Amino acid sequence: MYIIIGGGGIIGSHIASLLSEEGHEVLVIEQSKEALGKIRQRADVKTIQGNSATPKILKQAEAERADLMLAVTNNDETNMITCFMAKELGASTTAARIRNPDFSTYFVAGGKSPLSPRRIIRPRKLGIDVFINPEMTAAQEIMVILSSFYSTPMENFAGGMVQIREFSVTDKELIGQSITSVTKNLPHPAVVVALARGGEVLPIKDETVIQEEDRIYLAAEKEYMNELGKLLSPPQRPAKKVVILGGDRIGHLTAEGLTRRGVRVKLIESDETRAGELASSLDNVEIINGSGTSRDLLTEMGISSADAYVATTINDELNILSALLAKKLGVERSMVVINNTGYVPLAEAMGLHVAALPTLLAADEIARFVLHGGAIATALLEGEKLEAVEFIASSKALISGKNISEAGLPAGATAIAVVRGSEVFLPPQDTVIQPGDHVIVATPIAGIHHVERVFK
Amino acid sequence: MNPRVILHYLSLIITGTGLAMLIPFFFSLTESGESTGAFLISIGITLGIGVPVFLLTPSRERNLLTREAITLVAGSWIAASVFGALPYFFSGALPSFIDAFFEAVSGFTTTGATVFTSIETQSQSILLWRSMTQWLGGMGIIMLFVALFPILGIGSAHLIQAEMPGSQYGEKLTARIRDTAKALWLIYIGMTIAQYILLRFAGLPPFDAITITFSTIPIGGFTATDLSIAAYNNLWVEIIVIFFMIMAGVNFGLYYFLFFKRQSSRLFKSSEFRLYIAILFFSGTIISFNLLDQMGFSIGEALRYGAFQVASIGTTTGFVTTDFDAWPAFSKGVLLILMVIGGCAGSTAGALKVIRIIALAKYIHRRLLMVFKPNTVIPIKVDGVALPESVISRIISFALLYAILAALGFMAMSAIGLEPITALSSVIAAIGNVGPGFGMVGALENYAFIPPLGKGVLIFLMVAGRLEIFTLLVLFMPSFWRWR
Repeated sequence: MYIIIGGGGIIGSHIASLLSEEGHEVLVIEQSKEALGKIRQRADVKTIQGNSATPKILKQAEAERADLMLAVTNNDETNMITCFMAKELGASTTAARIRNPDFSTYFVAGGKSPLSPRRIIRPRKLGIDVFINPEMTAAQEIMVILSSFYSTPMENFAGGMVQIREFSVTDKELIGQSITSVTKNLPHPAVVVALARGGEVLPIKDETVIQEEDRIYLAAEKEYMNELGKLLSPPQRPAKKVVILGGDRIGHLTAEGLTRRGVRVKLIESDETRAGELASSLDNVEIINGSGTSRDLLTEMGISSADAYVATTINDELNILSALLAKKLGVERSMVVINNTGYVPLAEAMGLHVAALPTLLAADEIARFVLHGGAIATALLEGEKLEAVEFIASSKALISGKNISEAGLPAGATAIAVVRGSEVFLPPQDTVIQPGDHVIVATPIAGIHHVERVFK
Repeated sequence: MNPRVILHYLSLIITGTGLAMLIPFFFSLTESGESTGAFLISIGITLGIGVPVFLLTPSRERNLLTREAITLVAGSWIAASVFGALPYFFSGALPSFIDAFFEAVSGFTTTGATVFTSIETQSQSILLWRSMTQWLGGMGIIMLFVALFPILGIGSAHLIQAEMPGSQYGEKLTARIRDTAKALWLIYIGMTIAQYILLRFAGLPPFDAITITFSTIPIGGFTATDLSIAAYNNLWVEIIVIFFMIMAGVNFGLYYFLFFKRQSSRLFKSSEFRLYIAILFFSGTIISFNLLDQMGFSIGEALRYGAFQVASIGTTTGFVTTDFDAWPAFSKGVLLILMVIGGCAGSTAGALKVIRIIALAKYIHRRLLMVFKPNTVIPIKVDGVALPESVISRIISFALLYAILAALGFMAMSAIGLEPITALSSVIAAIGNVGPGFGMVGALENYAFIPPLGKGVLIFLMVAGRLEIFTLLVLFMPSFWRWR
């Protein structure tokens, strides 16, 4: 695929390297020379310096033959215009990053409802096929984590019938057991999708032994997920009192959503003007003006009785520092939002939970909406090392009529489940694939094309 | 500041006042004619000054400066009152000019405090003029002229701001201030017609219906009878008057959304409107109970008198159906507090206004919270919108100034020799544009006995209360008049 990315910030450059890794032809348009230099170092992509919203630059980028135009600058308006121009020039699919809810709440997915009132904007009319909002997704993930029993969000497949969820192994009895004995002893069928140890994904072999601080990605049918999860790690209480650091978009959306769910929220914002704005727009949230790294401020506001602390500023170092301080002051669940993926192992080593990575979420969203022609659902696992994808087997596919183990999946890829109508085969074992079956496969990113070919 | 520009517009206001006198003048022709001469002289003087000045001063189309606007607004109210006093003076109804001026100011500011010792003996044309002054002043003199004359179009936002500062908490209703003024006057006139028709159905003769209507809608308080509304002893009249008093005490901007934009939710969601109704309902209930308990009234009587007096005093109208001065101390205390609170901002009612009470209460609440939560940012929100700190500071200084003026006025009235209850209530009733107070200025009394100096003090307070203090007070600051 030929993909043009407008905007080479954190998100743009991240997606660029991810896509080029997957083997696509990628071109990045960015205004800043320094940013472009960094991208060229990091990924094998072509670059153009300039404004992606101008037809001149888009023509130069050969937008007419683009399979996908991704507009992911910081500026919503620029992204919209970029998509509009690219579409006019002949790009086949466009996606825009739209962060401001004053835009996105008025958008309905194009063509979905011809009867929808005129007041609603149809983004298709603006040349936007898909719009993504990583900050909104990040806020939603944080809310799911805080208000549910587990510290990680789940990924849904086959319309929610199959779920994949990450668990930290805390049950001492599990340590030292092999993966096969773990799954054998569980009361319901389950598949270990991946085993992560210290930021690396281990190949799943039957005899792999679980060690302390490992994290397991487990796939199971929806009904059994909670029960299985409780066996792996004891459930946490949903947070009732939450302190949020930072009143930027993620903090704002999280505070708003949590209050709506009846959670009591205090929000710390260091900028006085922004604090005033937040105070007037957020009802029932206590806005505190001050620094998240001030021990006195945190103690004074009663941090020790909070159930959870979430640092959501755009400054990763500040988030980590502040979350550490909160942990030190007695908050059990101290979480950070991290933009630079390089910090993730550091934060995890310090015992902080990484609540959301907006950059990854953006990549994830794009993968979910746009990529892998045949895939109908995708999820990036363990910092993009692994991807779970759901395909519908076509009648012409190589795999059709074959046993899944004969399908010739690439090395490292695991078949997780086959869903036929309301029937779930998990693990699929010797299921013979019929056309129309939903097949869920976990695969390393580089192998994704191979997998795709098997199903097409 | 250009005095000729101010004179130009001021003379327009004076001319308008003179033209308004034509109505009682023609009315006087239908009665015995004793006041016809007085109106003729008054109109002659008023137009004789107004028209030539208007023609001789330049009419330059340019924005009025803030200072010019303030001077013009304060000047208009004083000029209208001076010329509006002439009919009382020349007809011999009030032979002392300070008395005539007091009555005119009381009318235009919709206070309703009277110096007439006997009202029913006056000629009907004088009483009509007396009620008309209230009706003209009710919506604001400047607002009337902005609606009528396009020449005031430029810079009129300044003028309205100076005349009705309280109405500016919400947004501008229409793109052009003149359309706003027209819409508000349409609502005002509509309410006037509705009440007149209902009063006629309740059995009042046209003259009484019109004078009462002209007093109710602007929240004035003058009647053409000695005993105020009690003179009719008509339950239907009382119910109609209660309803329209309460209606007129509501922010007219909300009616604009109700009638012109069909947004009734705005009215019922307004926290000011809800608190206003709640205050009246609560006060009415406790006063009725108090009357039932202490005065030996029947339930019907207690409700009838209690509800009427609460609506009348709570909206700062000043109508009377019973001598509430004879009521128990608790009821009188509640009425005194109602006199200070007043109606809603942007209505024709006076006093502090309910919206300011809300803002002040929230401000105090925030101060208390900040004692133990020093870093928390707490906005003061009314109807979900945070008030800017500048508005809050203005409200606080307004409330403080209100209290200071009342205190100074109380001192002055005491110095003249009035007993404390009379001195205090006369001051509260004047600055809140209520009318009757307690003691010697009570429900069935009048202001005639107060010495000229005291009347001067009350006149100042009435105008200050009507213009919400700042506009009048800055005129007394030397730096207002100096160039630097």
